[in-house]
Amino acid sequence: MPRNGKLVRITVALAAAGLTAALAVVASVGTAGARSTGTLKGAGSTLIAPALAVWQPMYSGDSLQYSAIGSGGGIQAISHRTVDFGASDAPLTKSQGNGCNGCVQIPWALTATSPVVNIPGVAAHQLKLTGTVLANIYLGTITKWNDPAIKSLNKGLKLPNLSITPVHRSDGSGDTYVFTNYLSKVSKSWKTKVGNATTVSWPTGIGGKGNAGVAAAVSANSGSIGYVSIFYVIQNHLDLARLKNASGNYELPTIASIEASAQLVKTGRIAANNKISITNPPKSKKYANAYPLATFTYVIVPRTSPKAAELKAFITWALGSKAQSSIKKYVFAPMPDSVAKAAKKTLATLHS
Amino acid sequence: MSTLDATGEAARRPFPGRRVRTGDVLLQGVAGLAALGAVVLLGLIAYKIVDGARLSLSTFGLGFLTHVGWDPVHSRFGAGGFLFGTAVTSIGALLLATPLALGIALFLTELAPRWIRGPVTALVETLAAIPSVVIGLWGILVLGPVLHDHVMPALHSTLGFIPLFGPSTTGSTIFTAILVLTIMILPIVSSISRELFVGVPPELKEAALGLGTTRWEMVRGVVLPYTRGGVAAAMILGLGRAVGEAIAVAQVSGAFNNGISWNLFSSGNTLAAQIALEYQSAETNLDVSSLFYLGLILLVFSLVVNLLARVVVRRGARRQGVLAR
Repeated sequence: MPRNGKLVRITVALAAAGLTAALAVVASVGTAGARSTGTLKGAGSTLIAPALAVWQPMYSGDSLQYSAIGSGGGIQAISHRTVDFGASDAPLTKSQGNGCNGCVQIPWALTATSPVVNIPGVAAHQLKLTGTVLANIYLGTITKWNDPAIKSLNKGLKLPNLSITPVHRSDGSGDTYVFTNYLSKVSKSWKTKVGNATTVSWPTGIGGKGNAGVAAAVSANSGSIGYVSIFYVIQNHLDLARLKNASGNYELPTIASIEASAQLVKTGRIAANNKISITNPPKSKKYANAYPLATFTYVIVPRTSPKAAELKAFITWALGSKAQSSIKKYVFAPMPDSVAKAAKKTLATLHS
Repeated sequence: MSTLDATGEAARRPFPGRRVRTGDVLLQGVAGLAALGAVVLLGLIAYKIVDGARLSLSTFGLGFLTHVGWDPVHSRFGAGGFLFGTAVTSIGALLLATPLALGIALFLTELAPRWIRGPVTALVETLAAIPSVVIGLWGILVLGPVLHDHVMPALHSTLGFIPLFGPSTTGSTIFTAILVLTIMILPIVSSISRELFVGVPPELKEAALGLGTTRWEMVRGVVLPYTRGGVAAAMILGLGRAVGEAIAVAQVSGAFNNGISWNLFSSGNTLAAQIALEYQSAETNLDVSSLFYLGLILLVFSLVVNLLARVVVRRGARRQGVLAR
């Protein structure tokens, strides 16, 4: 019995200690929040993730922590202030802007999302597509690779009698926003049936989570087509499709073709909220070699935050030429001066 | 078990006349608080889910349960496709896993040489320890392509007259999800069944064998009837796991929200997977609320499954008592 009594006492002591510890943890989570000094936490777009991975060791100010959870997730995270900055390739919608409670969006990088294909017997980067054909594939009206509509664009290629599996992002994504933005511009039935958003109701096909998920699904399924940011094309050795622009040329995403699209931005005509769309530039000599799926990507920050000074320093650095040229290897084109200027103007309004 | 329960009431106070000891009181308090905490937490979760689903409940009502599709652009949401996908994947997985699991359990308790039992038991239980996201990754990169290139065409050409085995265009299908879930619930059902089979009184088995039955007749006549209730409960637990699994299914099912098909080789989605995929990207209040509505359906379903398991176990225990006497 005495031994039992001791056991009880020890158990009670342990249980009490455990409970106290648990309460302490709960209490500290309640008050401390997600921030600590000297670190800038960000979350969102998987498209910008490779750039941040390059910037992390380069930036000498605060240490950077970034989670690539998708643009939709990044917007939610900054709305709830669980991070210091969010990143999104899609500009904030009206309801998101309201939900974010005084956030500003600042363009900070320029790149593209691009269609990739997995067709046995077709050499890398040879398949040519138009926007309309791309829309019809994702609408489910073109279902075979040897469909006359695809064949007529690719006279020299041997296209197999293989079903097409369109792959889309299953999470909310800026790539989806850019992609559906482009499809809405080139296809009326896409615009009315599906529309343009970070998540849409896909008429057909399969979903992959994140750029990495789409890349995996495309590599694993022969006959598939997907859209990913260029970094993931390089990393996963995927085959790009050449996309026809409004001027009639078939383009691959390169620094030059992305910069050509970015000429759409008119100096002094950038909206106050920095919302810029550069998909599908019109037919013109200026845009002869423009890539129709180019996009700016945004950092989203609260106008008022205790970390305003740190955020200003970091984003100013990211817009600078050293940071911008460091990510050229992943096909991020340097920001045009006009956009960088607008970005800095918005940045100046941040305060603590 | 049942004898312990019967005396449990008396065991709480071994010596009724004794003075109350502070240690005992403290223990009772702490333990009681912990138990109360669990109950309060469940209540809070249930409240939060119902509260979150309110907007969607009032907008769509019960029509939400049958509408197929998830369209954030036009704000039209429905759970029909996910209910269908959840039912097909979890029941399919259960149908595949149960005979396999019973076979494993029988092998390990009745048939295998003694030296093999320990390692194989440990290995089967290790299956349960593999994180679902790893199984999902394997499902995308290995299982999906193999099924798409070899298994599904073969099944389609031989059994294609059954609508379940239609043509396939991808490795990310309902069928892939069923197989992945089968792997995940197999160790649950098999390890519980093994425990149950071990618990069959040896005198019953020996008596049957003494009457001249074969080993199979003994299993069919003694082991299986004796453990029927427990095995049913194990199946229900497996079903609960299959219904609630989100990540692995999200990875392999193809996440297709816009239609339902009896063809197992087409893509689909489930309640849990849709919540996992969509919650971070929901833009409008109605979208978020509709996800809560999906969660509410899932919560109600798992409560029903748990209650069902309880009823089955209790009934099984009663029958076992009769048989043992």
